[in-house]
Amino acid sequence: MKINGVQIDDTFAEAFPMKATRIIITAMTLKWAYRAANAIRGFASSVIACGIEADIERELKPSETPDGRPGISVMIFAMSMKDLEKHVATRVGQSVMTTATTACYSGLDSEQKVSMGKSLRFFGDGFQISKVVNKRRFWRIPVMHGEFIVEETAGVTKAIGGGNFLVLAKTARHGLAACEKAVEEIQKVPGVITAFPGGVVGSGSKVGSKYKFLTASTNEAYCPTLKGQVKSELSDEIGSVLEIVIDGLDEESINEAMRLGIKAACSFGPAKGICRISAGNYGGNLGPHLFHLRKLLK
Amino acid sequence: MSALVFTLKNQPEFTLDVTPLTPENLEGKTLAKIKNLKIIYGNKSVKLDTLFTVKGTDSSQIIIEKSTDKLINAGHGMTKGSITIEGDAGDFLGQGMKNGTLTVIGNAGSWAGNAMSGGRININGNARDYVGAGLPGDSFGMSNGLINIKGNAGDRVGDRMRRGIIIIHGKSGNYCGSRIHAGTIIVLDKVGKLPGEGMRRGTIILAKKPTHLSATFKSCGNLKMQFLRLLFTQLASIDEELSLFNKYGPEAHRFSGDLARNGKGELLILQHYK
Repeated sequence: MKINGVQIDDTFAEAFPMKATRIIITAMTLKWAYRAANAIRGFASSVIACGIEADIERELKPSETPDGRPGISVMIFAMSMKDLEKHVATRVGQSVMTTATTACYSGLDSEQKVSMGKSLRFFGDGFQISKVVNKRRFWRIPVMHGEFIVEETAGVTKAIGGGNFLVLAKTARHGLAACEKAVEEIQKVPGVITAFPGGVVGSGSKVGSKYKFLTASTNEAYCPTLKGQVKSELSDEIGSVLEIVIDGLDEESINEAMRLGIKAACSFGPAKGICRISAGNYGGNLGPHLFHLRKLLK
Repeated sequence: MSALVFTLKNQPEFTLDVTPLTPENLEGKTLAKIKNLKIIYGNKSVKLDTLFTVKGTDSSQIIIEKSTDKLINAGHGMTKGSITIEGDAGDFLGQGMKNGTLTVIGNAGSWAGNAMSGGRININGNARDYVGAGLPGDSFGMSNGLINIKGNAGDRVGDRMRRGIIIIHGKSGNYCGSRIHAGTIIVLDKVGKLPGEGMRRGTIILAKKPTHLSATFKSCGNLKMQFLRLLFTQLASIDEELSLFNKYGPEAHRFSGDLARNGKGELLILQHYK
């Protein structure tokens, strides 16, 4: 199968179950909402070492936020409720509450919930006020900029992490141009994020390592510098491989995001250095969700 | 299915306790069985169809027609569905209500929403004293839910309320929000003497400056209250009737009090329309 002259490998991306929450950050201006959102998604590229994967989902108009101010929707993924519980409270406390004029609300309505204001309210040192409005409980924490308002909990849902595809290019410059376009397209799909910096992974990993203390290590089969040294998946003309990893709320949204992303990358074609599209397939060691490239591109 | 309609045959001479007329109590009952229900009229127990004509089938939507202020305990403990009272309602409207919607087209008596823990009461006319308040001996007044009064309310609105929201579009009497433990009261017209007297926590929002404010409230100055922005946006999103809150801004003069209790309550006097 070829799209615009780019070879699509007959393989699949392998993804795994996660837990996800969506939070809404509002502020006096969109600029300050972005500052908080960027702080919360900092060092949240992979669960391997960051504990969570998080990214901005989209901008929200004032009419879409609970308090009528401009906002940002951020999605946070973790391997377990325990991890999510720990990181959401910590990150909202340190990244959102500390950002001037912000407020933080749940962006998901579900039975399962993780604490936000429930933990953070104690910062109010006894001056915090609870308010139930529209069947939702909010905490008003008096802070130096005025009041920090945070919803008691954020809804949690089952999700999928690790949907991915690899862009095999002549050079890193070629690959990055295609990946930037792909990420732009993926961002149009609701319910998905690309948590790595800029949405692109420069150091894709395989499961396991020769070192017992490492759970993930470099994917040598796709490292151009090791072509002559290991059993490589790369042909002579490929000089750089970049990966786009997608976390999403369900299979449909990841399917759609991968489809749009791959098509955008392929639109560059071999003339602009894009040679092949493949996917991270770890032989069933990673997870139960399989996204077959050729199937989703039909 | 058509709504279950109860029409009063004659104006009652004594108080008429309509406690049994709730959606959960009438669910699954035949019309004949409903007509044979016993209700308390004055000091006697009488068959329902001696006082009401009954028609319709849908017990989740109850309409009481030609109602007067003699009908007490309407919507008592209701947990679902809707009750519409066409006319006035007497005391203890929605007492112990847990969920559902209770609407009075006319006026309501005292103690509306007493011991309410959920749902919504709409009063299109005026309400008398002790809206959402606790009875003598109760620890608390209402503990959740929304009471929306389009007209005026009497004295001691929300006395000892624990949680929930009371909105009064008209005027409120004296001691509005007295001794409240928490919750929110909004008065969009004038308020009587000493609002918030003895309040522990909670919020009283006044669109107009009160003429008498207790000396035990201390000014925190004019502030932009982020909470007001959230509250008004959320209320306006509930339905068309409450969309009027879109026109209110977050600027308010904040008074903390009652300092004679623990001073953690607040009186917010709105400064500007948007």
